[in-house]
Amino acid sequence: MSAVEGLVYGFSVALSPSNLLACLAGVVIGTLVGVLPGIGPVGAMALLLPSTFALDPTTALIMLAGIYYGSMYGGSTTSILVNVPGEAASVVTALDGYQMARRGRAGAALAVSAVGSFVAGTLGVLGLILFATLLAEAALGFGPPEYFALTVMGLAVLSRLSGGSLVKAFLMVGLGLALGSVGMEPISGVSRFTFGSVRLSQGIELVPVAMGLFGIAEILSLAETRGGLPRAMSVRLRELLPTRTEWRRATGPIVRGSILGFLVGLIPGPAAVLSTFLSYTVERRAARHPEEFGKGAIEGVAGPESANNGATAGALVPLLALGIPFAPATAVLLGALVIHGIQPGPLLMTQRPEIFWGVAASMYIGNAILLILNLPLIGLFVSVLRLPQYLLLSLVVLLCLVGTYSVNNSLLDLWVLVIMGGLGYLLRKLGFEPAIVILALVLGPMLEKTFRQTLFMARGDWGLILSRPLTLALLLAGLVIVVVPEFCRASRRWRARRAVAVGP
Amino acid sequence: MSRLPLVAALAFLASSAAYLVAALRLSPGSVEQPGPGLFPVAVGLLLVASSSAFVFQSLRASSAAAAGPPAEAGKRVTGVLAVLAAFCLFLPWLGYAVTAPGLLVVILRLFGLARWPVVAALAVVATAASYYLFGVLLGVPLPAGVWTR
Repeated sequence: MSAVEGLVYGFSVALSPSNLLACLAGVVIGTLVGVLPGIGPVGAMALLLPSTFALDPTTALIMLAGIYYGSMYGGSTTSILVNVPGEAASVVTALDGYQMARRGRAGAALAVSAVGSFVAGTLGVLGLILFATLLAEAALGFGPPEYFALTVMGLAVLSRLSGGSLVKAFLMVGLGLALGSVGMEPISGVSRFTFGSVRLSQGIELVPVAMGLFGIAEILSLAETRGGLPRAMSVRLRELLPTRTEWRRATGPIVRGSILGFLVGLIPGPAAVLSTFLSYTVERRAARHPEEFGKGAIEGVAGPESANNGATAGALVPLLALGIPFAPATAVLLGALVIHGIQPGPLLMTQRPEIFWGVAASMYIGNAILLILNLPLIGLFVSVLRLPQYLLLSLVVLLCLVGTYSVNNSLLDLWVLVIMGGLGYLLRKLGFEPAIVILALVLGPMLEKTFRQTLFMARGDWGLILSRPLTLALLLAGLVIVVVPEFCRASRRWRARRAVAVGP
Repeated sequence: MSRLPLVAALAFLASSAAYLVAALRLSPGSVEQPGPGLFPVAVGLLLVASSSAFVFQSLRASSAAAAGPPAEAGKRVTGVLAVLAAFCLFLPWLGYAVTAPGLLVVILRLFGLARWPVVAALAVVATAASYYLFGVLLGVPLPAGVWTR
């Protein structure tokens, strides 16, 4: 199927009433989740995963993807109006967005970030189609060694990019892999680490872990700071229109941010967050008046807000083309595919074209809905923030509990949820990145399977890896990514110490 | 100075070691014919190595960075965790209709809602609404508890 045929077909799928409704529901929930601090896109997607059981897989994926990119729109709203980022990916937006709001340009900031998100979202879909089709075609020739090397490289990049020290990142990778190894082992069916529990032999589920680490843990952190949020300023519809100068200044950052965001999205790791920081730095360098940054420069809103939407599209590429999630949100999407009995991988595009093209086309529709919804309804979304915190948090707690229970009707899952909630709170306190745990949990079984298949194929002959240049290159790249920065740091420290010793 | 990082590091090391020991008892197989134990042993080694390094780091960092929450906030956090655990513990016996309002009452109070009539009303309404949504509309068999036996 060519890209044009595919898109036409995709629109015919996405425009069916049920899919349209799912898209609308997804982006509205996503916007709300983005507005509300306390529950992010990953937690919300995990929470709603069970409710998609009854849906057709395409519809389910359209809705969950809508939450994912919809949250990027919502996150900017609170950043600009109340200086409280709803999502990590909107932290940067608050720097200049809130300053703009204080100068009475809140409407312009909101409009520019919505338009920027829309441009980035639509450009991102084009990128997604282009990259995913090429990658999936190339991946048809991949065997277990390539997948193994790709996963190893992904985890290596992830531990480098996720902030914090390498030791802490490795610890999180190990924790996720260990959790993923619980249960019936896939090749010989041996039960591992189950302590004789039948329920545990089915493995530790993604939903309770994700909701614990991202839902309950977040609530525990909020429990520390009692008291409501600052009052949001109100924005009248008339004020939404940016001036011509503002448009002109925002155009470059929007285009640059979209492309930059998409490319960063392809890299494993917290792509959306990272892309906003990168875009902000790029825009400040490129700006004619860099001194305005931090005081309400519209470039500092337009660039990052476009980048985080571009990144969500980019992050979907490895998931839809290879079946490998490299971001926590796409890990939940993978969970949704697996629950519906769909084999993710390079064949997804040819075997289940309605999923790939339907989701891609729905992203166009979703972005258009978001643009239309967001501008006039900003007041409504912000008024959600006026709900008292005790009500919001208690409801989220209850939803997390019942939602988790409803997946398997399992008490064990509830315990996993609570334990992961406590653990996630502690990890955050100690400066660990819990997102890595989710990814390692999902990638673990894949990593083990391909590892053992590779060993089996090699039959003790390491020449196999040498005869596969891509595998070798990926593994070496992973090694370089982990080792070289450490080596540089150590040598710098050594030189500094020597300079002190030799110095006057 | 907070001892939290060091305590956490030692707990990590202990659980990593326990995981590795359990993994070593599984059959590792051979390089040509890898068994179920090979991968967990590799993961266990990664865990033990990185948690040892973490212990070492926290020992060296004398001015511990992570300060605990203020006492009152810390109490609220442990309170929420305790009531969540209690919910899991009592759900199979007392059923959803009793444990859910109980949970909500405690959490609403912890989060600062003082007026008892409002607390009780919210707890009842939220329980009924969630029961209708999940138990009736989505058909989830929420535990009824010992009352029906």
